[in-house]
Amino acid sequence: MDSSRVYVYGIVHAGRSLPPDVRGVGRPAAAVRLLPVGELAAVVSDVPDDLRARRRDLMAHQELLTRLGAGAPVLPMRFGMVAEDAATVRQAVEAAAATHLAALERLRDRTEMNLKATPAQSGIEALVRADAGVRRLLADVRRTPSYEGNVRLGQAVAEGLARRATEAVEEALPRLSALADGFVRGPDVPGCVLNGSFLVPNAAQERFRAEVERYAAGCAERVELRLTGPLPCYSFVPQDGAEPGTPARTSAAHAGVGG
Amino acid sequence: MTTTTYNEAAVCVPRAGTLYDVLELILDRGMVIDIFVRVSLVGIEILKIDARIVVASVDTYLRFAEVCNRLDLNQDAASRTVPELFSSMASGVTSTGAKRAVKSAGGKVGDKVKEAIGVGEDEAEDEADEGRGRSGADEERREEAEHAEKPRKRRSSESSGSARTARGTRRAQEA
Repeated sequence: MDSSRVYVYGIVHAGRSLPPDVRGVGRPAAAVRLLPVGELAAVVSDVPDDLRARRRDLMAHQELLTRLGAGAPVLPMRFGMVAEDAATVRQAVEAAAATHLAALERLRDRTEMNLKATPAQSGIEALVRADAGVRRLLADVRRTPSYEGNVRLGQAVAEGLARRATEAVEEALPRLSALADGFVRGPDVPGCVLNGSFLVPNAAQERFRAEVERYAAGCAERVELRLTGPLPCYSFVPQDGAEPGTPARTSAAHAGVGG
Repeated sequence: MTTTTYNEAAVCVPRAGTLYDVLELILDRGMVIDIFVRVSLVGIEILKIDARIVVASVDTYLRFAEVCNRLDLNQDAASRTVPELFSSMASGVTSTGAKRAVKSAGGKVGDKVKEAIGVGEDEAEDEADEGRGRSGADEERREEAEHAEKPRKRRSSESSGSARTARGTRRAQEA
């Protein structure tokens, strides 16, 4: 097996067993196996021919990591990481073993909850009433209807809704962060005024959900929320620049996540 | 993993097993080890666009403008008219995703815009996932949306005078 490329899903403590019936990427689904490396093990499979980011492959990656993370911590790899051979994986995992073990401890009994906030579209009337600029554009369009006028009006409305939603979110972040062991902003998602992930202790998960719900009810006319989880802790592993051999950068990235 | 949506139309809509809300985490977060290579992500950008085409587009702007034009600002702010106008739109967005909302609300204008900027849905689907499962489902959904279009308009024209006016406005926009 050492001569062929391997797809790497994540890293776990040694001695774990895989959940039954787990399926890897590809069609037919690749068989998933553990590659022990000292106190750690990499979760790997063969690389299917013509592997790309198809929906079913993304799902397979996600589901495997979700199941692995249900009982014990797992360091999820980004989708699509492929090593030249098993020896390369061993070498990479070994070189950063201390970092990985520390990261696993940090994730123990915790899970990632992702919160996305989008402007509530039902706030349009309130916005129009409150925003003189929007009211002026509306008056213009009513006086002289035009396609361009409608686009300008609509854009001003979109911006106004986003502004109100952003304000609502900033009010809530401190309360939510207080229930979590970490918070990081995720990549910008078009249309979202917030894409953030919280590292939530399992014991606090219900309280966290309740807090999101309470907050959502309080500002439903400004912001719509989508809470997704529990997720593999994608946002709470050492990020870019965490390559083996540079533990300084790794720990710096780690500290940054701690916020 | 589940996604729970909290909005005015429905306080709590749990949804399981979809990638829509976590795509960017799977693709852009998670651990990277430099000596590993990454599989080709051809098709990924299109898949992202596909999932999020609805936001900040001319479609959306025109829909917002339409809603504004329907507002009667002399009415009491507590009027129930506006939430009612919205309920169909909001549930469309949350239950079946962005595209359907564009389809049913944006209509022809949206199609033209999409053609113009070259993100036809068919192309995106084909690139994103050789297709059958999801692409097929979307095909059905699209047909469904088109079928739904006429009865929906008929209902709205029966319901009230202001709705009739709004329909007129939309016609004008589409023309």
